[in-house]
Order: sequence, then C-alpha cells, then structure tokens
Amino acid sequence: MKRLLACAWLTAIAAPAMAEPDFTGTWERYPLSSSEPADPRYVAAPIPDPPLKPAYLSKYRDNQAKLASRLKEGQPAGDNYVHCIPDGMPAMMMGMFPMEIFQRPEQINITQEAFTQVRRVYMNQPLPHADEIDPSFYGRSVGHWEGDTLVLETTGIKQNVEFRWTPHSENMKITERLHLLAPDILQDAITVEDEYLAKPWTYSYSFRRMKDYKLQEYVCEDNREYVDDSGKQTLKLDGK
Amino acid sequence: MRLAPGISGFVLGGLVALATPALAHHSFAMFDNSRSITIHGKVTQYQWTNPHAYLDIDAESPNGAITHYTLEMTSPNMLSRGGWSSRTIKTGDVVTAVVSPLRDGRKGGLLLEVTLPGGKHMLPGVPNAQNYKRTA
Repeated sequence: MKRLLACAWLTAIAAPAMAEPDFTGTWERYPLSSSEPADPRYVAAPIPDPPLKPAYLSKYRDNQAKLASRLKEGQPAGDNYVHCIPDGMPAMMMGMFPMEIFQRPEQINITQEAFTQVRRVYMNQPLPHADEIDPSFYGRSVGHWEGDTLVLETTGIKQNVEFRWTPHSENMKITERLHLLAPDILQDAITVEDEYLAKPWTYSYSFRRMKDYKLQEYVCEDNREYVDDSGKQTLKLDGK
Repeated sequence: MRLAPGISGFVLGGLVALATPALAHHSFAMFDNSRSITIHGKVTQYQWTNPHAYLDIDAESPNGAITHYTLEMTSPNMLSRGGWSSRTIKTGDVVTAVVSPLRDGRKGGLLLEVTLPGGKHMLPGVPNAQNYKRTA
C-alpha cells in the first residue's frame, strides 16, 4: 500500500510535467521568406509600429526618417550587426538564423545561431525589478507554464539595445507566450510594456520545427565592412 | 540572411512585407546592382569566416594581364544551409565568377554566381538575388 501510494504521488507530480509540450529542438522562422507559400493560419501579422508616448515618438520618427533616407542613399542604417554586435532582446527573437531550445523543468535556454546568442530562462522564479539587476543585452528572464503555454518574462535590457530603433527605459518588461499552433509550429506572442509606451506593443513570430538541423557556430571573426559616423560604408579588401 | 539590398535585418521596421527571417546583416549597398562583371582566373584564397566569407581571385584578361579581385559572399551559416562548405572551393582552383562590382571602382564586389573547375555552377544565396542585374 505504501508503495502504491508512493507511485500515485510520483504520478501526481509527474503528470503536470507531462502535460507540458516539449519545445526542445531546432526552429526556424515560418515562413522562411515572403516568397515561400505558407499556411495563413500560422503566418504572423506584420509588426505594428511601437505605440510610443508623444515625448518619445518624435525621436523615433526622426530615427525612422534617418533610416529611410540612408536606405534610399544605399547606406546601411548603422545597426548592431554592422558592428558585429548581437541583437539582444527582444530583437533576437526575430530569428534571423535558426534557433535551438533546450528545455528542462528548472531552466530553458534559447540559442540563436546568429552571433551565437543565448538566453537563459529560470523557471518558477520571481522576476526581479529592473533596478535589482545590471542592465544587459538579454536581461533577466523567468518563466512558468500556464497549461500548454510557456510564459516568459524579461526585464533589465540596456537602453542602447533597441529593436527597430525603438527607445525604451531600463524598466521595459517583455512578456512572451510560447505555444504550439500545430505539432511543428511554435508561436511566440510578444508583449512589450514600458513607461515610454502609451500602451503595450504586441506582435508575434511563428517558427517551424527543423528536422535534423545542427546549429552552426557564429563568430564575427573578420568584419571588413567599415561604417563611418555618417553611415557611409566601405569594404576593406584586405582581410584579417 | 534576410536582407533586401541596403536593409539590415535589424532595421526591417517599416518594411515588414520584405521581412523574411534570415536576411541580413549588412548592407550590400556598396555593390552596383545595376550591372555585373564576369571574371575568370585562379583562386588565391577562399575564406570561410563570419560575418561574411570571401573569395579572392587573380583574374586573367584576354591580353594576359592579371587583376586581383576580392569578392564578398554571404555568411558561412547561410552558405552551409545552401549546400556549400569550407572545401567547396580550393586555392588554385580556376573559376568563373559573376560579380556585382563595388561602386567605388576598386577591384572587388559581391559574388553572385561561380562555376567551379568541374563545371559545377554554384549560387551563394545572395538575398534578393533577382535585384542584381546580369549585364556581363
């Protein structure tokens, strides 16, 4: 009887874990390109402009205008990648290259192949207030399950780590709800909350499970594209 | 990576329609996409590095003169997913390359396609390759 009870107890604690889907594996954005035929049920809507408060909107618009004119002139925008600097959050989740999820009950890691970026999500821990942690590219992330949905909360992102040139405070909080739309289609529904925003900024990405793909390394080893302060770009013909 | 010429992936903000995930990274605006040149010669280096791979060629002109070209490619990660490896091209291989040349006139450009010694034709996966005109 004791043994039966022990079994029942084990089953009871194991059951919720078994109810949670396993996201472990390798994923790529779906669809991979705008020209790829895709199931409309799984295609994420275009990302709206951030609903910034008026005080921040003018700088954002200036930035977008500068960006548009640079693109028109054929110059790069001066973003992180041009300087061999990784995305940070939340830009990393745009999934420029494939990403890999490692799922354990107590911790989930997400690796993005581009720039070998890694996020570490600590499960069932409280989210610290932004001023309790040092601002960084990926901040602090905690997670918990709500049924079959993995909820991730992130804060503590450096102010110079921007997504789409959108200014934000160090208190910015990113909440993500990850769940399977189909056995091999994962959705990341993102909500960004910040005192710079008039209301939460929401958008989502869809990812498709990859079969037998092994993430490659990415070391920004020989960046030959030099961009000066004006945004002008020059190719260095001689390498490292 | 997912880039339209002159647009980095980070910046696709207002350009969502173009946003295919794996674009890029760097601008390819340095290259003149209104024309192409074709060069033929011996490979002096094939460099498998991020953020871009590079192919160096001593191009032969009909009169025998040699001109050195440095050609940018996409990321090894993208190339690998497209069937390339660090051994696809070897130093000393004689190849024919179609190139979008540097706008500034220096001897370099973006590799659009290459024919290997055995006749195998390879595309290096330039994002939005259809936007680069083939004129020579």
